[in-house]
Amino acid sequence: MKKALNEFIHYLDVTAHVIKMAFMTIIEYPANIAGWMISNPLQFIMGFAIIKFVVESFGQINGWNYGQLAFLYGLSVISHALSMIFFVQGWFMGYFVIEGEFDRYLTRPLGVLYQFFFTNINIFGVTDLIPGILVFIYGCVKCSVSVNLLFILQVLIMLVGATLIRGGIYILLGSTSFHTGSAVDFGQYTQEIMDKTTMYPLSMYPESMQFILTYLIPVGWISFYPVSSLLGIEGRYNGMMIPFVTLAVGILVMLIAGAYFNTGLKKYESAGN
Amino acid sequence: MIDVQNLSKDYILKKKEPGLKGAIKGLVMPVRTTMRAVNNLSFHIDTGEIVGFIGPNGAGKSTTIKMMSGILTPTEGRVLIDDIDISKHRKEAVKNIGVVFGQRSQLNWDLRLGESFELLKHIYQIDQKDYDRTIDDLDKILGIREIMDKPVRQMSLGQRMKGDLVAAMLHSPGVLFLDEPTIGLDVSAKYALRKFIKEINKVRKTTVILTTHDLGDIQELCERIIIINHGELMEDGNLNEIVDRIAPYKTLVVEYYDESAPEHVRCEMTEHKGNVAKYRFMKKDLTAAEIIADLSKEKTIKDVSIEETGIDDIIKIAYGT
Amino acid sequence: MKKYLYVVKTQIITSMAYEFNVYGNIIMQTIIMITSAYFWKALYKGRDMVGDVDADSMLTYVIMSSVLSVLLITNVERRIERSVDRGTVATDMMKPINIFGVYFAEDIGNILALFFQNMLPIILIGSLMIKVPAMADIRDLPLFIISVAESFLINWIIAALFGMMAFTAFNIDALIQVKKHLLRLLSGSIIPIWFFPPAVQKVLGSLPFVYIYQLPLSIYIGRGSRAEYLSGMKIQFLWLLGLSAVFFYVQSRVVRKVMVQGG
Repeated sequence: MKKALNEFIHYLDVTAHVIKMAFMTIIEYPANIAGWMISNPLQFIMGFAIIKFVVESFGQINGWNYGQLAFLYGLSVISHALSMIFFVQGWFMGYFVIEGEFDRYLTRPLGVLYQFFFTNINIFGVTDLIPGILVFIYGCVKCSVSVNLLFILQVLIMLVGATLIRGGIYILLGSTSFHTGSAVDFGQYTQEIMDKTTMYPLSMYPESMQFILTYLIPVGWISFYPVSSLLGIEGRYNGMMIPFVTLAVGILVMLIAGAYFNTGLKKYESAGN
Repeated sequence: MIDVQNLSKDYILKKKEPGLKGAIKGLVMPVRTTMRAVNNLSFHIDTGEIVGFIGPNGAGKSTTIKMMSGILTPTEGRVLIDDIDISKHRKEAVKNIGVVFGQRSQLNWDLRLGESFELLKHIYQIDQKDYDRTIDDLDKILGIREIMDKPVRQMSLGQRMKGDLVAAMLHSPGVLFLDEPTIGLDVSAKYALRKFIKEINKVRKTTVILTTHDLGDIQELCERIIIINHGELMEDGNLNEIVDRIAPYKTLVVEYYDESAPEHVRCEMTEHKGNVAKYRFMKKDLTAAEIIADLSKEKTIKDVSIEETGIDDIIKIAYGT
Repeated sequence: MKKYLYVVKTQIITSMAYEFNVYGNIIMQTIIMITSAYFWKALYKGRDMVGDVDADSMLTYVIMSSVLSVLLITNVERRIERSVDRGTVATDMMKPINIFGVYFAEDIGNILALFFQNMLPIILIGSLMIKVPAMADIRDLPLFIISVAESFLINWIIAALFGMMAFTAFNIDALIQVKKHLLRLLSGSIIPIWFFPPAVQKVLGSLPFVYIYQLPLSIYIGRGSRAEYLSGMKIQFLWLLGLSAVFFYVQSRVVRKVMVQGG
């Protein structure tokens, strides 16, 4: 127990230092800051505007009004932003595998996945976070939700779970590179699929697809089910516990992803052999 | 210290055929074959040894050293570092090793060198006193302090190598692995590197394992060498003993005043070009002085020199080229 | 010319080297296409025409947009960035072959490889799982082909121009992202801009993006009259001319700068 606690403190200590280094790196390249400050918010502001245009052309989307869609969209963008901060490296895992960049993580006495994600922590992901929070607040006002302690807890829990689900999916996709030996980057595709399935109500899709997106690739838990429960929209799953289910699903996906990554790591061939 | 037991490694290769037709074929029906890169290696290395791995490209040196340092998982066999199986208990075992892999740096490209050390200080939980002392020690050998505040991206290859050496030694590991450390270094950087290895081996009793193509490194540093070819262990032992055993001869080069050269009954004339002749003789039954004495009875000698059999000849012979 | 053809051929072979990438891409693109199809089916539920287009044409639009997105894959910006990063620009430009020509040939080679690897499978899968994406009026085929060729060129030149910003800005990753998002959201590749309010449509009509995706796709699904296509293609052609002029001007400036400073 004491050993586990010490180890946890050790990881926290390294994490704090790594975040400090990430900020120092950002300051080294001030020209990049402006680029990301424009690029990321731009994407989500335009995305949000497009939802508005679609609602104006088609009316409600599967019974969801504009305020509810804003709420859904906001939370989806927030968990996307969190996954960009902590797990975006998963998109580039293939390059690390091919170029032998795992060598250094393997020769240090910390978890390989931990080092892979945290020594490359992407502070710029914060620029995604801000538009997400703004849209979410807008959605809260439009839906006139009563913000109480339980609500805040539910939102925080589901965000942790949603971030883990997204991160786990990036790891699963990235780890295929160990087996295939190719540096393919599915990041953009993943995001495109996730945009369509987490920013719009899942219930608009046919049953078979909903089934897949609930149980096989559990993106439904990222935003649709917890948001339905938070807004009290009737659906397949209801109740105040749904955000906690999201967390459980997130942990499960992470465990599976971690195990798959570890089997891949055994096949790691470094570079230049 | 280090125990390597029946170590083997297989790679799976994708067979590629040339041309557009080959590319299409590879797409529709990829063919995979298994290649054994390292086959059944066993050896033991004691604390404080400096061991050089040599062998031609693709012989399995790098694969071996990468299995020993926990990067690759062996297909068969195991590596024990201080009795800990490195592929089973990686995090525990790597605390005691330091790694410098040729052109791959573990330094943070964007920040000053000191920041990379700071990170390692946190990762290995080195307390401030030990950290300062180690930096002081290494500064005496490498002069690292003067480049601590320089961003790594602005460093020369030699400076980066110094940075990587310090990074690998910060946590005072018992074993230091170096894979092709001198590649691309200029003469003074090479000299600094060799001095560094000798110093840490002498003062800190660090065990050093290196692969290299630079025979100067081997002659300068290693008492023991391990020759690997086709993934198999060809030779393992004292450098001088191996040289004496594989190449028990020297070559005497004699220059005369004209083009005729006499034979010598107890040695072999390996070359005769113009006024120069080369005689190869066994070290154990003859000395150069005796041959010179014999030859000078027959003909007047202008000049002589001796070609020692060097490590490069050994390698040529051992590889069978 | 022969040199460039050789580059094209080499690139085709390189693109085929990893069968996993090929199949992975097909699977991912199929998922995206099918999701989009259901997305529109759901939106159109109980409605015949929205924005002058019926559900059936919208599905054709989705399939052809997927196909077109393969044609519009470029690597030129990354290639320029890499050659600037690694400091090989100067030597690259000194070679007796135009380096931008090489990048163009590489992208062509890549697309030729993708034609069989991605476009045909996507059309096939789309036909089986969604609908056969037949063209609305086959007589417009020449117009469609010309407008696709132009949109390919416009897209490539925009990518190259963004890539050339690597000579000024330190790192163009963020800029490449900006370009990607602009193209994704403002070109009609995912949501046609005829669903946007008229004022927004007017603004977007004066930017080059809609001429990359939406114009050729509108011709394909037959939204609008031939006169409208032709006037659209006129603007498209003007964009192509304008951007080409900018491209050649910037290129000569960049080459001169590299030659003087050595990269």
